[in-house]
Amino acid sequence: MTMQIPTLEWTREVTMEQLERNPYPTYERLRKEAPLAHLPILGAAVATSLETCRAVGASPDFGGIITPAGGRTFGHPAVIGVNGEVHADLRSMVDPALQPSEVDRWIEDLVRPIARSYLEKFEDDGAAELVSQYFEPVSVRALGDSMGLQSISSDKLREWFHALSVSFTNAGVDENGEFLDHTRFEIGDRAKAEIRAAVDPLLDKWTTDPEDVWISHWLHDGMPEGQTRDRDYIYPTIYVFLLGAMQEPGHGMASTMVGLFTDQEQLDAVVDEPGLIPQAIAEGMRWTSPIWSASARVALTDTEVSGFHIPKDTVIIQSYGSANHDEAGWDAPSTYDLRRKPLPHLAFGFGNHACAGIYFANQVCRIGLEELFESIPNLERDTDSDVEFWGWGFRGPKELHVTWEV
Amino acid sequence: MTEHTITIAGRDDTVTAAADQTMLDAMLRAGVWMPNSCNQGTCGTCKLKVLCGEVDHRDSPLSTLTDQDRADGYTLTCQAVATSDVTVEAADGGTDAVHHPLIDFTAIVTRVDDVAQDTRIVYLRPDREFEFSAGQSVSLHVPGAPGERRQYSIASLPTDPEIELHIRREAGGVASDQWANGTIRVGESVELSGPLGDFVYDPSDTDGGLLLLGGGTGIAPLKGIARAALADNPEREVIVYHGVRTCAYLYDQQFWADLAAAHPNFTFRPAVSREHHEGCMGYVSDRLLEDLSTCRGMTGYLCGSDRFVDGVAAAAKRRRLAPRRTFRERFTPARTRDLVAG
Repeated sequence: MTMQIPTLEWTREVTMEQLERNPYPTYERLRKEAPLAHLPILGAAVATSLETCRAVGASPDFGGIITPAGGRTFGHPAVIGVNGEVHADLRSMVDPALQPSEVDRWIEDLVRPIARSYLEKFEDDGAAELVSQYFEPVSVRALGDSMGLQSISSDKLREWFHALSVSFTNAGVDENGEFLDHTRFEIGDRAKAEIRAAVDPLLDKWTTDPEDVWISHWLHDGMPEGQTRDRDYIYPTIYVFLLGAMQEPGHGMASTMVGLFTDQEQLDAVVDEPGLIPQAIAEGMRWTSPIWSASARVALTDTEVSGFHIPKDTVIIQSYGSANHDEAGWDAPSTYDLRRKPLPHLAFGFGNHACAGIYFANQVCRIGLEELFESIPNLERDTDSDVEFWGWGFRGPKELHVTWEV
Repeated sequence: MTEHTITIAGRDDTVTAAADQTMLDAMLRAGVWMPNSCNQGTCGTCKLKVLCGEVDHRDSPLSTLTDQDRADGYTLTCQAVATSDVTVEAADGGTDAVHHPLIDFTAIVTRVDDVAQDTRIVYLRPDREFEFSAGQSVSLHVPGAPGERRQYSIASLPTDPEIELHIRREAGGVASDQWANGTIRVGESVELSGPLGDFVYDPSDTDGGLLLLGGGTGIAPLKGIARAALADNPEREVIVYHGVRTCAYLYDQQFWADLAAAHPNFTFRPAVSREHHEGCMGYVSDRLLEDLSTCRGMTGYLCGSDRFVDGVAAAAKRRRLAPRRTFRERFTPARTRDLVAG
């Protein structure tokens, strides 16, 4: 006997602001009461447990779909929101540069100098705000240079991903499914206008003079001689990269660092033994998943998941940040503990829409933290300021103030 | 006797191991470097993943090689023997210092000096050429105690005619007390295997200063490292701290004073924790924090008891000694056999 996806009465009061400030209490209750439920403020169903996220992700009855606010932000066809041949073509366009063997070829030479250059600016200051001075700049510079955006400043790239994030996660809808807040889309629209003004001339150049940078490859690879992909066809995927891929390693490093600060013993162990850094990052990604709730699936047919009947066209938002706190998977899931058994977490998604940049992102985080600890092994959290996390779709610490003896 | 081959994945190296030969021993003898330190199964440095084939973990302690490790295919190569042909994962590169094949040899005791309270320096002349890197150690077959081996850091350099070992007496110890402070005789032959360990001076690391922190007889490998570094570059900044409890445990003072007189950027600082000694009372960790404003850019070699190494490492970290340039060698107490797990 299958159940209808329920709408729990108390969830009608849940607001976007509440979710963006701290989604964990709401999702913890959802996991307990109905791990697949409609969440009215989102106008969609949410899968919140390890089991339901995995079941939806693995089922052939679901396709990828972009969330409504995400679709409004990125346009069509974004790699995260399409299926079938178009998805296969877009993945064939972005995947080759992100293969581990390919990434290994250049990641060290790319990221170490970038990390060093930002560290040199503050390593003798004795105090820093690591999110804006280090984690985000390293993240956007590493990706920006790979994509071919060397001419765009790190501050501009950071500004773009923040603006796109505000628009992408503007999920709140009224009872008719109408968006509640249009100003957040306008912020995203302004950023996209700037992006096109900056990237169009680069596309013009690469159309006639290809370079060994990702976006140039996206134009040419797999196309018949003399033809390029239409720029309107690749722009949505450029936006996907400028948001998700730009923010993810930055937030991953920042959350890992905050996690390590919760336990001096773990921090000491990682600083003394850099070989533990990948394990620390994996736990950081589980503990506060940077892409917390930005991925969705749509039922391609009437189907069933975990005992729930799912009518065709039902949109289910995959709450990976919640699944990664499922008590069925981890003891004391809200505690950062890098010594946990390394069970696979869902921070990079699941199924054929799993993140294409998983290896790249982990390497950026690894090198970023290696260089940070190498330069400042005596980092301490500045306890005069609290760490405030923000975000429901994308989540990370807003700021992380640190001090050290120079 | 059945032999098995050990193949290191991704390399061309294949070595042959006798049925009762540990995997580490087989690899080191063949000149295939693998990370290793205590060689008695307690430190975990030589832990490797077996990709295919069967091994017998033998005396590997559960505390070092956990059930989870075993389930995940790991083995302690200093304890395990191959029971079929095996392929193991390549270890990380370690330092670029030269790796010398492990050999067995005999040496003659040529001199025994009482240098400090409970502390003897034993000089041994090997019967054949013995190659090692400054800072490495040898395993000694304890005379009069069949089956017992003890690992000692080498304080001398390969160019010296004799191997110099610093031995601190532990009451009742089969090696340090019953042999080195008991039956030892000049002219006596002893059996040794070596070199072992990856606490080595790296001649390719020529940038910045050296910070050498030794607790008690933990100064021994640092003596070799200091001499090797100053031979390569007599102008190099080298700072040595020797931590002891009381003045009675200080030794080699003249050696260090001579080194200081001959090298403009060399400093030796004793640190005596429990009594006054020429204004240098205190633990090495405290002295270091007081004396040095930063250790940035330096390479550190730390040797002594766990407590000593952890304490000075924390102090050096506060002064920003980079983790990747911090090398540690810990005294590992002789393993008690009844702790062995199956």
